[in-house]
Amino acid sequence: VQQVLNGLAIGSVYALFALGYTLVFSILRVINFSHGAVFTLGAYFTYALTGGAFGFNGLLANAQLPFGLPFPIALLLGSILAGLAAMLIERLAFKPLRVRGADPLLTLVSSLGVAVLIVNVIQYLVGAELYTFPDEIYSAFPAAVNFGAAANPAPVRTTQVIMFVVSLLILIALTWFINRTRTGKALRAVAEDATTASLLGIDTDRLILLTFFLSGFLGGMAGALVGSSVSIPGPYFGIAFGLKGLAVIILGGLGSIPGAVVGGLVIGLAESFVPGQYVAYKEAVAFAFLFVVLLIRPQGLLGGTLQRKV
Amino acid sequence: MADFLATYGSLIVSMVLAAMLGLSLYLPLMSGQLSLASAGFYALGGYIAAILSTRVFVSADGTYPLGLLLVEMVIAGFAAGLLAVPVGILALRLRGIYLALATIAFVEILRVLSLNLDITGGAIGIFGIPQPFGSQIEYLWVAGPLLILTMLFLYRLERVRTGRALIAIREDELAAEAIGINPFFHKVLAFTLSAVLAGCIGALSAHVLNTWNARQGTFDASISHLAFVLVGGSRTFAGPVAGGMLLTFLPEALRALAGIAGLPDWLVQFLKDGRIIIYGLLIVLGAINFPQGLLTPAMFKRRRAALAPAIDGSQVD
Repeated sequence: VQQVLNGLAIGSVYALFALGYTLVFSILRVINFSHGAVFTLGAYFTYALTGGAFGFNGLLANAQLPFGLPFPIALLLGSILAGLAAMLIERLAFKPLRVRGADPLLTLVSSLGVAVLIVNVIQYLVGAELYTFPDEIYSAFPAAVNFGAAANPAPVRTTQVIMFVVSLLILIALTWFINRTRTGKALRAVAEDATTASLLGIDTDRLILLTFFLSGFLGGMAGALVGSSVSIPGPYFGIAFGLKGLAVIILGGLGSIPGAVVGGLVIGLAESFVPGQYVAYKEAVAFAFLFVVLLIRPQGLLGGTLQRKV
Repeated sequence: MADFLATYGSLIVSMVLAAMLGLSLYLPLMSGQLSLASAGFYALGGYIAAILSTRVFVSADGTYPLGLLLVEMVIAGFAAGLLAVPVGILALRLRGIYLALATIAFVEILRVLSLNLDITGGAIGIFGIPQPFGSQIEYLWVAGPLLILTMLFLYRLERVRTGRALIAIREDELAAEAIGINPFFHKVLAFTLSAVLAGCIGALSAHVLNTWNARQGTFDASISHLAFVLVGGSRTFAGPVAGGMLLTFLPEALRALAGIAGLPDWLVQFLKDGRIIIYGLLIVLGAINFPQGLLTPAMFKRRRAALAPAIDGSQVD
């Protein structure tokens, strides 16, 4: 039971994060490799906003904001900042190529460049050391929640529970937004066919910006949640997480929103069931999944059939 | 001169090695396939050389026999090629983004394995790899000819049937298939050649660097190899060579710039530590402004075209 619950918790964050990839992919048909870097940004923004101090390395050595926000507000603000950063990335690294109608692989490369850039700027500014969120952010709750019987305890750390609940709320809100609102409908129209959508009077450019904001918001929030649950082990953790997110969306099917959720939960659960003596190989689980799924069913679990256009 | 070689010997050797790593990524790109697997084969080759030279071919005297280094390179290249055939057969059924992702996954799986196996020394890696030469610059005796041979090979390849088939696949896979080229076979071939090259360079690099660990075969390494090709130009084999050399030389040049007196502190610090930031910036700017890279085939053709009327004119006279 404990493993299942832990798996669901981490899986829900994977889903949250992977949805950021999915949104951008469904609109632009490119994989945004800078998403992992935005994840890192979200974690660092939130850390800074809670009043966390930075270490002695980097340009901003020992810097600290003069105030510390309560964690929920910091989480929200940090994610919004990450969303804004994603919008900036869209304007600087995606739009110039899109306007020219460049090869999608070139866009992929450009977003990779952005990822490398952001991660190293962070490292340059605040160093590569491990940052742990202050303990008191969750002090209103007990350290662990017992989901088992008293005789057969199945304790799950509160941070995991919060991760799960927050991810679930965001996922529900996002589903509502996409399926029930006018803007959501417009988004789906652009994803279906951008040209037709723009002929129908939908401002494609603005919707792309919105998509990047949402994607960055989701990525940043996932980063902050993971960072607050364990710690921020350095700027590169976003890249590693970003690669795992790719495994999630490939598993679920590129561009499929339910697919991203299912993929996230499957990989989260698979990782939490890795037996103790092989725990060092946990990192490889997602990539093994990725490789195998690509070979057997490249369209993913819930993706439609792939068409090869001439 | 001796001073210069002593100071910059290792830089020159790394520039040559980087040029070949760029070429290793260029080979699958010739057939239009973006594969990032080179870093994995490079790491594999390095581990093979490191293990062989520290455990199998242990020699008593000070310098390591050069012949054994060459043997290691052959073994590493062979092993990389042997692994590349099944991986290529599986992965090259995919195209575009899917192929790039599958090769990233392959590199990551190899990295996690090398971090956890005993024989690869875990996170610490393998150190104290014996040196066949007294100084770094002497590695050029191996790396230089290897680069020249590789370039000659590619020069010929672009002009023979197999190479032209690869280029045809890059330009239009369907049309190539229609005129009787087997795209799958040629893609796997290019992928395998790329792996053999990466394995050989890995074996050599392990000796040059003296130590080998999981950091050599990471996603980051894949990205810098990709930067070599993209900055240099992905349409002619001269591109990756120029790109690899330039991007390896750049940080040293920046470090030298940092030595200029009177620069503000932050700039000096940035020039010293900001290497990868500049890489990232170059990749973005390159993709947006120079999608063809620094060197394009047209440059070489234009020169020939410019010469042609001059020759004609002299004949008229």
